[in-house]
Amino acid sequence: MAENETFEPKIIAFLCNWCTYAGADLAGTSRLQYPANIRIIRMMCSGSLDPTYVVKALLEGADGVLIGGCHPGDCHYLSGNYKARRRVAVLKSVLKDAGLDPQRVWLRWVSASEGGYFAETVREMVEHIRKLGPNPLQLEWAV
Amino acid sequence: MMKKITNLDAGDYHSLIQQFLARLLEKETVYAVLVAKRYPKGRNAAPVLVRDPEKLDGCAPLAPVQGFNAAHAIVELTREQPGMPAAKPRRIAALIRPCEIRATIELIKLKQVQPENVFLIGFDCPGVYNLKTYRDLPDDRAEPLALARASVEGDPEDLREACRLCTSFTGDSADLSLAWMGSDAITSEDGSTLLVDVRNDRGEELLRDADAEDVESPPEREAAVSKKHEEREQRFNEDAEELLTLLGPCVRCYNCREVCPICYCKDCLLKPEKMGYTPERHLNRAAKKGQLKMPLDTVLYHLTKMNHMATSCVACGVCEQACPMDIPLGRIYNRVGRHAQALFDYVAGRDREEQLPVTTFREDELADVQNVKKETS
Repeated sequence: MAENETFEPKIIAFLCNWCTYAGADLAGTSRLQYPANIRIIRMMCSGSLDPTYVVKALLEGADGVLIGGCHPGDCHYLSGNYKARRRVAVLKSVLKDAGLDPQRVWLRWVSASEGGYFAETVREMVEHIRKLGPNPLQLEWAV
Repeated sequence: MMKKITNLDAGDYHSLIQQFLARLLEKETVYAVLVAKRYPKGRNAAPVLVRDPEKLDGCAPLAPVQGFNAAHAIVELTREQPGMPAAKPRRIAALIRPCEIRATIELIKLKQVQPENVFLIGFDCPGVYNLKTYRDLPDDRAEPLALARASVEGDPEDLREACRLCTSFTGDSADLSLAWMGSDAITSEDGSTLLVDVRNDRGEELLRDADAEDVESPPEREAAVSKKHEEREQRFNEDAEELLTLLGPCVRCYNCREVCPICYCKDCLLKPEKMGYTPERHLNRAAKKGQLKMPLDTVLYHLTKMNHMATSCVACGVCEQACPMDIPLGRIYNRVGRHAQALFDYVAGRDREEQLPVTTFREDELADVQNVKKETS
């Protein structure tokens, strides 16, 4: 347990340009504090994220991956987030079959106006991953 | 709806099939048929496109070997030629295995097969052996009908694993399917009728001039089918295996991608050059974990392939026999595919009207996938 308390998870976040990234931006401009464990990659849409990048992040040792998109019904491209949800469902099922922990992948809808919710999401996820402990693949070179 | 084809000369099951296909050609129902034949030398059997009814001699669709998934051949035979004047359409009938029919249906949805001029004929499939097993079989077991005859008693131990796990061994998603299970048609040397299951209007059209009569569906067949179904379902193991260990020996030869009927992309994301690696990046990666395995990214390759094609995987098992390292890919993909398809209540190749799961969505679904904030008061 003591080890987990000092463990700082590394989380890769794929955020959609129109909602969650703007939400993260708002959190910043509103000077809201959230843990610095997150590395953000901006995408045009959560629906344009190929699962290979999530898998790659996990295999290379990221402790968690956050995928952020617009709330259902709000997608800038109408249905990208619904399709992302289906893809993430497949991804989690594949990860589970492969013996990896699907809990390390989070899908969450955060709108451009929800700066506070974004900060809260990061806090919540960091705590969750901290409890899970470091990604065992961090030391696994034979993958 | 069951029908039987009559006015056939007495013979074994393959000879009856041969006469039926010859009739389709002679009556000009179709221009050519695609059916597995045994090659003149050696014991390989593989699909042959036959135009001349005389050349159907030796056709052996039930021969227990499958070098590749015949859906590849259907892609080749229906390829669109952009910019070329449209040729006069000529219809073909393909007598292929149920998994090949399912793969063809997935490829229709993926816009790789033009379905209009292809009739799909299936059959009760006894399965096949792995290529190496087949090569080393004694002659009597390698006979074209030997496996089908033996499978009545149960699947042989050395049947290919994908086939031992296959529960869609009847040609239900075909236009027409040859039905022998539960009857003595397969063992008889002098049968004279061929029982067929007409699955849709296209199947009906195919039988237009084939001397087909309506018959009652024999209850023996249903019993035999459900018995085999149960037997195989029991072999399926839900539990996750140590997949990462199983995939360990992979040498990234890409054979499983090349033979996979669903992996149709001309420009695969998984080519190393697509990943944009530079020597410098390799060194940086080696520094990160202290060491870097070559060939690179073998597990990433498999997990990505699974993500891309699991919802369309028809569990044909050709990947398994193509693997030089004997990784049990048939079993792995069977499980991964089943679980992924179950999420959407989808079965790859079941119905050509069903949309591919990843191209559609419902507004209200998969609530447990989203990490919605837990309600706090």
